[in-house]
Order: sequence, then structure tokens, then C-alpha cells
Amino acid sequence: MKKGKGISYAKWGYIFIAPFFIAYAVFTLFPQLLTIYNSFFENYREGLKQVGPNFVGLGNYVKLFTPDKSGTINILKYTGNTLALWIGGAIPQIVIALLLAIFFTSYRLNIKGQQFFKTVIYMPNLIMASAFSMLFFTLFSNVGPVNQLIQAWGWSDVPIDFFAYKGTVRGLICIMNFLMWFGNTTILLMAGIMGIDQSLFEAANLDGASSVQVFFRVTLPLLMPILVYTVITAMIGGLQMFDVPQVLTNGKGMPDRTSMTLIMYLNNYLGGSKNYGMSGAISVIIFIITGILSMFVYRSLTKKD
Amino acid sequence: MKKFIALLMAVLMVASLAACGSSSSAPAATAAPAAAAPAAAEPAAEPAAADNGEGKVFNIYAWNEEFKGFFEKYYTVPDGVTVNWIIVPSDNGAYQDALDEALLNQDAAAADDKVDMFLAEADYILKYVDSDATQDITALGVTDFSNAYTYTVGAASDANGVVKGVSFQCCPSALIYRRSIAKDVLGTDDPAEVQALLDSWDKFNAVAADAKAKGYYMTASFAETYRPFSNNCTTPWVDEDNNLQIDPEIQAWIDQTDEFIANGYTLTAGVWDDEKNVQMFADGKTMCFFGPAWYFNFCMGNAMDPDKGCSGDWAICEGPAAHFWGGTWLLAPAGSDNPTMLADVMNTFINDEDVCTALVANEAQFSNNQAVNAKFAADPSYGSEFLGGQNDVAVFSEMTDNIKWENHTIYDQLLNEGLQNALQEYYRGSVDKETAMQNFYLYVNEKYPTIVTP
Amino acid sequence: MTKSNSADSRKARAQLTALRVVVYIVLIFLSILCLFSFYMLIINATRSNGQLQAGFTLVPGGHMLENLKNAWTDSSINIPRGLLNSFLVASLTAILTTYFSALTAYGIHAYDFKLKKAAFTFIMAIMVIPSQVSAAGFVQICYKFGLTNNYLVLILPGIAAPIVFFYMKQYMESVLPMEIVEAARVDGSNEFRTFNTIILPMLKPALAVQLIFSFVQSWNNYFLPSLLLTKAEMKTVPIMIAQLRSADYSKFDMGKVYMFILLAILPVMVVYIILSKSIIKGATAGAVKG
Repeated sequence: MKKGKGISYAKWGYIFIAPFFIAYAVFTLFPQLLTIYNSFFENYREGLKQVGPNFVGLGNYVKLFTPDKSGTINILKYTGNTLALWIGGAIPQIVIALLLAIFFTSYRLNIKGQQFFKTVIYMPNLIMASAFSMLFFTLFSNVGPVNQLIQAWGWSDVPIDFFAYKGTVRGLICIMNFLMWFGNTTILLMAGIMGIDQSLFEAANLDGASSVQVFFRVTLPLLMPILVYTVITAMIGGLQMFDVPQVLTNGKGMPDRTSMTLIMYLNNYLGGSKNYGMSGAISVIIFIITGILSMFVYRSLTKKD
Repeated sequence: MKKFIALLMAVLMVASLAACGSSSSAPAATAAPAAAAPAAAEPAAEPAAADNGEGKVFNIYAWNEEFKGFFEKYYTVPDGVTVNWIIVPSDNGAYQDALDEALLNQDAAAADDKVDMFLAEADYILKYVDSDATQDITALGVTDFSNAYTYTVGAASDANGVVKGVSFQCCPSALIYRRSIAKDVLGTDDPAEVQALLDSWDKFNAVAADAKAKGYYMTASFAETYRPFSNNCTTPWVDEDNNLQIDPEIQAWIDQTDEFIANGYTLTAGVWDDEKNVQMFADGKTMCFFGPAWYFNFCMGNAMDPDKGCSGDWAICEGPAAHFWGGTWLLAPAGSDNPTMLADVMNTFINDEDVCTALVANEAQFSNNQAVNAKFAADPSYGSEFLGGQNDVAVFSEMTDNIKWENHTIYDQLLNEGLQNALQEYYRGSVDKETAMQNFYLYVNEKYPTIVTP
Repeated sequence: MTKSNSADSRKARAQLTALRVVVYIVLIFLSILCLFSFYMLIINATRSNGQLQAGFTLVPGGHMLENLKNAWTDSSINIPRGLLNSFLVASLTAILTTYFSALTAYGIHAYDFKLKKAAFTFIMAIMVIPSQVSAAGFVQICYKFGLTNNYLVLILPGIAAPIVFFYMKQYMESVLPMEIVEAARVDGSNEFRTFNTIILPMLKPALAVQLIFSFVQSWNNYFLPSLLLTKAEMKTVPIMIAQLRSADYSKFDMGKVYMFILLAILPVMVVYIILSKSIIKGATAGAVKG
């Protein structure tokens, strides 16, 4: 079945993928190679004065993994932050999106006002992340409406400083990421379900399968490729999380750098001093972490096939 | 599905038409203002040269339109020269990023693309002044600084005293106080008497306790007094061996803020936070704010709110320590192909009496021309409604002599920000003081690998 | 038998109704959360700068038209021009990204060739490289080669979009088994034409989804354009918004900023509503095919 029909179509394969590789080579390859190359060099600016590039071998990596005075290996701390923030937002995002996609596509449920709901849940994604964060910041500030309500209802006499606690800052970031992305994921999954041959559902219904059975026996296996995509891209996006925590905490990752993500850390080196050496090393590390995790997820989700 | 493809094609066609339209109209749009210069239509064919043999295009880099407005109103561009504004917003550091790239490519750039003048703020001016990217303006013909305030010239001078630019404004920063609260706490709202009661930090700190006793805050932000201290540092951020050092003035700010937070004299809000801003309403409980003319004229919107505000219930005095806040400098990049015009622009905005007068009278600026400001200071009919009729130009004119520009480094902007951000977490109760300082050192190490931290 | 059957079906119907109620409650709750952020935006767009400085409230400020007028007439930005520029860049990027990702994915999905596996692995590998640092290098190169103020350097890289490719590939795996590909194929006919006229229409829901996503992403893109587009007449919407935000104190007006943010969302919503219809229509196409 997998074999072609005898006529060789191989050249078409090359022709079809050529534009991608040409565009990649022209626009992206060189800067990416430069990133990796830079990670082995001391290369930054002090004011307008360029320092380096001087070859330092693995020096930048060693520096990243050297504990600071309090014994913390900072890059591990930020990896932990990033994973915590990602999981907190991504798990509800994928679960709810999957449920919504099933609801929307279910003929039996026959949800009314679908177009409305589908438009509304996607809307937060249309707002720029920076504007969205600005809104949340004013909403939860010490004089914002949330604190006004808390005080009006007598829950607390003094305003709750949402930005002073690890739990609340992280919680806000997770909620915002969830709100921004669950509509997007729902649409992706819905398109996946819509693409499934409807006759399969009809056949299953005729055989008297319950909706739970239909979901696990028909929908889920056929949706698997798209679900794998969703999980992996959510993970890549999560490990590169930047805008929301950056704007919400004004780049500080407060409190005590517990909401500082890997890319915010990278951005610390890049902003102002253009430290291509250190930021290059951090991106290589992010690349390795993402690669390992993606491979793991990809393998474990596609094993059954 | 055919419809869909048709739609796709239609969008594609419209888009590609628009693309052609815009790519051909883009040069046309730039050429349009240059219509006076006949050669501008074919820049490739003819060497770009104005009547005096200098460049035909004058490129100015800025992050907003403030100076552009003044420039277009008050400066007459020589015939045959087109002024090209390259405005890059400062969000996310984009302005400095774009400017740096342009300056570093200055030698290779075509004559018409060279940076001919750029704007910079006090916080990062040294980054450009202390580099080869800027040039000596006295060599270009800007030599008369007798009317300019000393600190504005100092800020634009490199380590060897070579002047690289000028400021078209001067931003002395005052203590802005609520008259009604001052009456309650100090028994007077007369600027001279208030100044006498608040002219040192010891007095200021003592009054803070009195204000607290009467139910007021002395200031509304933990960082409110940072600039008055940091402007008067006696040592730079780093010593000769590049060790980070905390100046006694900075230490004094930390000590004062520790006390203010512990005793509830101030709030944990940042200088720009909503929590501080609501304190400017009529029902606000804060006595003192610090800021220059632009701060109370434009940023104290809450105080001017017709319903909840308290315009007129304010006054200014020098306060415990002379300092400035903000201001924009015009700098001369090396390699400009329009040196004559560059010098002319700079001279106009510091030495042309009419222009400087117009800046004060029409634009609510405190100009960088002492003679012009003196005229307004002496004018009894001149006063600010917001300040209950007080003549702010007169107060500012007196303050300027005490403002220093000393012990600055190219690191100032990020280190000042970093220290305040780190300590804010301590004041909010998120971390202990030692952790806050450790986080500050981490930040310094990330930004400046050469600085040695404790 | 019939009795218990009808009891069963009544029970099933009751269950379905209960489920429906739960679903509607969840949907309404999520919709309120989503609409609330828009509500905040709209409220802020009706408030003056002074009101905004005092923090957020739930009541409109009554300065809507004033903000609209101020934003529209602001001398530093040209809103219609910005919207047009953004639309141009975003739609071209979206079309190129979607089309070429589908083409690449089809190339790898439908054909056997020596480097197939290597090509797939390679694209998957570059997908996980963070874009931030390469972006900085890209900017330096553009300045070196004088490629600033050129839309092409913002649009053309869209041809190589690993994430969109991956989606198309996965989508094809679930809806485009090789049997269909081979059935669609007329031996000797131009494969390129087969792709354009037969395969692409089958991918309609996926194309619509990725068109929307890449359009929105490009529309909201700030970092690269802010460094590469410096000419006033070429600036896109996010740069103009940032410019309003870094306006000098005498013109600084957050009311204007929020109004512009609101204005900037409207075109994207229109595109979304138009395209989201074809996600649903895709289902019908699938049924016919089945």
C-alpha cells in the first residue's frame, strides 16, 4: 500500500519541498548557525563598544551551570519555572479544548450558537499579548477592581499584593496563557475532527456504540496525529514562553525570579548588552531540552501505531 | 471548494497588486516632500549634494515626535535639503537597538542614509557621548554655551570634556507638595517657608513622622526620592577596577526607604504605578511628589481631573536635594554628511532667543537658555494655574545652579533600574534584603559581564 | 422489552439533556471570561488618560469619541495606512506560509524519495530552535545588507514555517491516507496540478485554520518589524501602537492607545469570522468525499 505505483514520483517530492528549504537556507539558517557558533564565544557590547568575539570553548555553558552565591544553579531554576508555568496553563488548555472540540462537533449534542461561542473563545488570541498583560496588570494591581471588590466584600482590609507572591503571579500567568490559547487549540482540534471521515461515525452509531466508545475507539485514534501536534507545539511554545510573563512582571520575573522563564533569562542577556555568547548558549540549552521532551512526547504518543 | 480557491486567488491578487502599488508608491512618497530638490527623483544617477556641497538628506533618529514638532515649527530647513525622521518607539529597547545598528553601520551607509543627528535621554546619553560614534560639536561651530545650563553641557561631554551635543530643554526637578496637606502638617503652604522646613533629608525624614501622625503619607512610592539622592552621588557605580560600589547617597536612599516603609510613611508602589497615581486625587493622602515641569504639567492628570482632582492645591520648592529628571539631548554622530546644518540646528535651539522664548511661552518648556528663562522668571504676570499661580520658571531658575552632572557611567540606566526593582521585592515583603541584593548582583552580572559584584 | 427500551431511551435523553446543560454552562462561563478581557479593552478605550492613570474600573469613561478622534488624527501615525500595511504583510505572509507548508508536507507525505526521512527529521529539529536569538542575528544581517524598510524580508521567511508544516503533515496523516492520494493521481498528469486542484480542497479546514493563525501572528508581530521598518509610511499597526505608547509626555494618552488596540482587532476578527466558516464547511466536503 505504501509503495508507489511503479512510476517514480521521487522527483516531485524534491520539487515540492524545495521552496521550504531554499527559504530556510536564505533567511533562517545563517542566523541559527550563528547562534550556535556564538555560544562558544565571548561576544557582547558594553555601551557601543564591542567585546570579542573571543573563543571560550564551553566557557559560557560552564558559567550557566555554575551555582551562584546562594548555591542556586540559575538556569535550572528558570527551567523549572518555565515547566511549571507551561504545565499549569497547557494541561487545562488541552483538556478543555479537546472537550470543547468534541462538544462542538457532536451531532447528538447539537450545540446551538456555535459560531458565537467559537468566535468568542478565540477572541483573546486576537489581542496582542502585551496589551492583554497590561489589562491584567491593572485588573490585579493594588488599587485595581479585584482588590476593590475584595475590600468591599470584607475579605481583606488591606489590598492583596498579587505581584508579591509566587503562587499568585504564576497563577495569573497560567490563567492568561490558558485564556489566550484554549480557543486556538479548540479550533485546531475541531478542524482535526472535522477532517475525519463522517461515515466512520455513522457506522459506529449504527453499531450501537455509546458516545464514550465512539470517542475512544474512533475519534481519539484518528485525531492522534493532530493531538500529538497540539501537545508538541504547546510544549515548544511553552518552553519559549515570553510575552505574558515579561510584560506582566515588567521583565523582572518577580517575586525572587520565580516567574522568570528561560527566554526572559535569555532576553536579560540580549537586551542592552547584546550578549550573543551567553544568549546563544541559553538557546542551545533550550533547543536541547525542547528536543528531548518533544522526542519523548512524540515517541510515547505514537507508539501504539 | 472552488469558491474557496477563488477567494484565495482573489485575496492573493489583491494583495500582490497592493504589493506592487506599495513598492512603487513607497519611493514616490519619500520623493514627494523632496520635490523642491529636482535631483531627488533620481538619487542613483546624481551624487547627493546640496548647494554647499553637503548631503541632500538630513536623517534624524528619535523615539517620539516631541522634538520633531518643535523642529518643524521653529527651524527653517536650508533649500535643497530634505529632513528625514526615523522614529523608532522606545518599547522593548527598540530605539537604542535600531540606532546602534545604524551608528555601527555609519561608515558603510550611503551618504543619504547616514545618521545626521540623533536624540538621547540623560539615562543613557553617556553610552553615545563616551564613544567614537559621536563627534566634537565645537569643531562644527557650536561653541557658545554661555546661556546653556552647566549640567546640560556636562551631560553631553565625554571623559575628556569634548562636547558632543546640546539639550534643547532643561529639566530641574522640584518637590511638588499639596498645599492643603502642607498647611495641616507644617502650618504653612508658602513655598519659601515650606522649603525652609524641608531643605535637608534630616528635616524631610522628621516631617515624614509628623505627616504620618496626622494620617498622611510623606511620599507615594518607595522610589520617589531615588533621583534626588542618585543625582548627587559622590562616586560612580564602579571604581577603577570595575568593582560595583554602592555610593553613600544610594545607601542613604536605601536607609531612608527602609525607615519609610517600616513606619508606613510611603507605599510600595513604583514611580509610575496606579497605586501612586490615585494619591494625586483630591482625596489622596500624600504630601510630597518629586518631578520637573513636564511631570506636573502632563503626568499629574489625576490632580487635574475636574471631578476628583485638586488643581491649584499644589506648589513647588527645591526640596532637600537639587536634581533633574529627564530631558532630551541632540547629539552629533560622527560621519554626518551635513555638518553645517547639524551645527545650525544645535545653535538655534540653545542660542536663538526667539526660538527659546517660543519654547517657554508656547510649549510649556523650561528652555536651555538662561537669559530667556530669566525674562519669564522676572515677569510677575507669569504663573501656573495648577500651582495656584506660582511662577514655576522662577523656582526652576534658582534651582539649576545646584544641579550636578558628576560620577555618571554608561551603566547608570540599567543599574538604577535594577537596584530599584530588586529592592521593591524586599519592600513588598517577597524576599529578605540579602536576597534582594543578591538578585540585583545577578542582574548586574547578566547585563555587564565586566562589572565585579560583591 | 419495548417498555424497558423506552425507559432506556428516556434515560438516555435525560442524560443528554443534563450533559447539554453542563456544556452550555461551561461554554457560557468560558465566554464570559473571554469577553471580559474585551470588555476591559472597550472600557479603557472610553476613558481619558487621567482616568486611566487612576487604575481600572468597570464603568465606561465617556471619552470614546474623543479617543477615536485623537487616535485617528494623531500626526505621528496614519491609522488607515498602518492597517493597510499590516493587512498586506499579514495576508501575504499567511498565504505563503499556509500554501508552502501544505506543499512541503504533501511532498513528504505523498512521495517516496531518498532524503524523505532526513528532510522530515531536519524540519522537526529546526522547529524546536527558539526564534529569539536568530531574530537578533537576522536584524544585524538586514542592516548589513541594507534590507531595512523592505517587506520582503518580513514576508518571504514565512515560506519556511516548520510548525505549520508539522500541522499540515499531521493533518494529512489523519485525513489523507495514501489510497486517496493514489486515487486522486492520474498517471502521467502533472503532480503539481493534482496538488492544487484535488489535494488542496481536501485540506480546506486545515488551510483555513493555519491562514487564520498565521495571519493573526503576523498582524500582532512587533519585535522584528519594529527594528526593520523605520519609514513612517511603511510602519505596521503594532509599531504605531508602540509609538503612541512612547509618545512624549505632552501627547501621551493611554486612551488613544487602547482605542487603537481595539481598532486593530476589528480587521482580524473579520478575517477570522470569514475563514472560520470554511472550517465548518470542510466537514461537508469530507462527508461528500466519504
